[in-house]
Amino acid sequence: MAALRSSSARLLSLGSLRSAFRLATAAPVRGFAQLADAAQQSQTSSDKPANLKTFQLYRWNPDTPTEKPRMQSYTIDLNKTGPMVLDALIRIKNELDPTVTFRRSCREGICGSCAMNINGTNTLACLCRIPTEDNADMKIYPLPHTYVVKDLVPDLTHFYKQYKSIKPYLQRDTPSPDGKEYRQSKADRRKLDGLYECILCACCSTSCPSYWWNSEEYLGPAILLQSYRWLADSRDERTAERRDALNNSMSLYRCHTILNCTRTCPKGLNPGLAIAKIKKEMSF
Amino acid sequence: MMASIARSALLRQAASASKLSLATSSAARQSIIANSVRASAFHTTSRRNLLPPLPQRVEGTVNDPAPVPEPSPSHGSYHWTFDRLVAASLIPMTITPFAAGSLNPTLDALLCATLLIHSHTGFQAIIVDYIPKYRTPRARKVFTWGLNAATVVVGLALYEFETSDVGLTEAIKRIWHA
Repeated sequence: MAALRSSSARLLSLGSLRSAFRLATAAPVRGFAQLADAAQQSQTSSDKPANLKTFQLYRWNPDTPTEKPRMQSYTIDLNKTGPMVLDALIRIKNELDPTVTFRRSCREGICGSCAMNINGTNTLACLCRIPTEDNADMKIYPLPHTYVVKDLVPDLTHFYKQYKSIKPYLQRDTPSPDGKEYRQSKADRRKLDGLYECILCACCSTSCPSYWWNSEEYLGPAILLQSYRWLADSRDERTAERRDALNNSMSLYRCHTILNCTRTCPKGLNPGLAIAKIKKEMSF
Repeated sequence: MMASIARSALLRQAASASKLSLATSSAARQSIIANSVRASAFHTTSRRNLLPPLPQRVEGTVNDPAPVPEPSPSHGSYHWTFDRLVAASLIPMTITPFAAGSLNPTLDALLCATLLIHSHTGFQAIIVDYIPKYRTPRARKVFTWGLNAATVVVGLALYEFETSDVGLTEAIKRIWHA
């Protein structure tokens, strides 16, 4: 044992140290979860073997701000869980650890509350299936490069302030000719397809390296997509003012066509294309 | 001591944990090691505190819109269009002297000038991206003027090379045996 205590021996056995670390971190909670699921297993007879999956969740508590953020493992039986990551999170919160904190609301990909970084990709937990082909651990982090409120809850204050700055509403001075609603042709309406569906979940903006470095001034893909939604609207009459607001070095032109936004969008939209169209419109 | 400088952060933490653990029980030792490894697992590269994020600061109230900068097309749309035109024009200008087989000093000078502008705006974009004005105003100024100085020096050098030596295309032709 004395030899083991020396640092060199410990460094040589880094491999075993890593496995020890896994056991040490996972043991308390995993043991409980397995116990819970195993108990239920015996009651509901053995029609299916337990299909255990471990979820590693980013944990940070604002009540103890000096403590470093950590990953906490929870193991649950997928046979008793819904197919989506959000189902697993809700089950973890209900049955294993009520202190786990995350946002969720509609559970069908229309509210954008449950945006988080799952296995390295920003997506909505409610639209992300739990992969069943392997039993690798799932790692769940809050949206990258955001200020974290608690656990998986990011602070989107600045994101919303930026959204407000582009005036996301119809601006028009001339009344409609017949005093009814402002009409537009089918072709004009079609220009808004692929833009109006955005739910402002911030998955794209927080996946953009340019937004990571310059979120103070650069608007980011989500806000620019919305900006284009109002630029492209045939009923809006402040197109020139909207373009002027983007015509500086930071707001729009920090986009370098990295296209992480398009790749990550859980709604299948294309913010990269919308930004390219703004640039094209403004180029001459 | 030298060895500990050379070690990566992970190894250093593991080593210091084992040193600490001499005085503690084995259970506590386990948790210290677990903690140190867990903390370092967040950083795949060594930690250098280059521009660490500042604490969050909300300008005005949470209901105020983010400030909209004054429009300045010379830093916005004109700059972008000019950048693309310069980049696109470089392609034929690079190919022409080699394809045509003749070396025109005017074309050569034009190529040098365009290349200089292209690299200047390229480096400028890097500075604007990575040295934010609101965060490091002094470093931003230093780097911007450093780039301007470098561009002037390179411009003078290219002028010298073009007028009193063989010129850019001829030099590449002599060096490049492919």
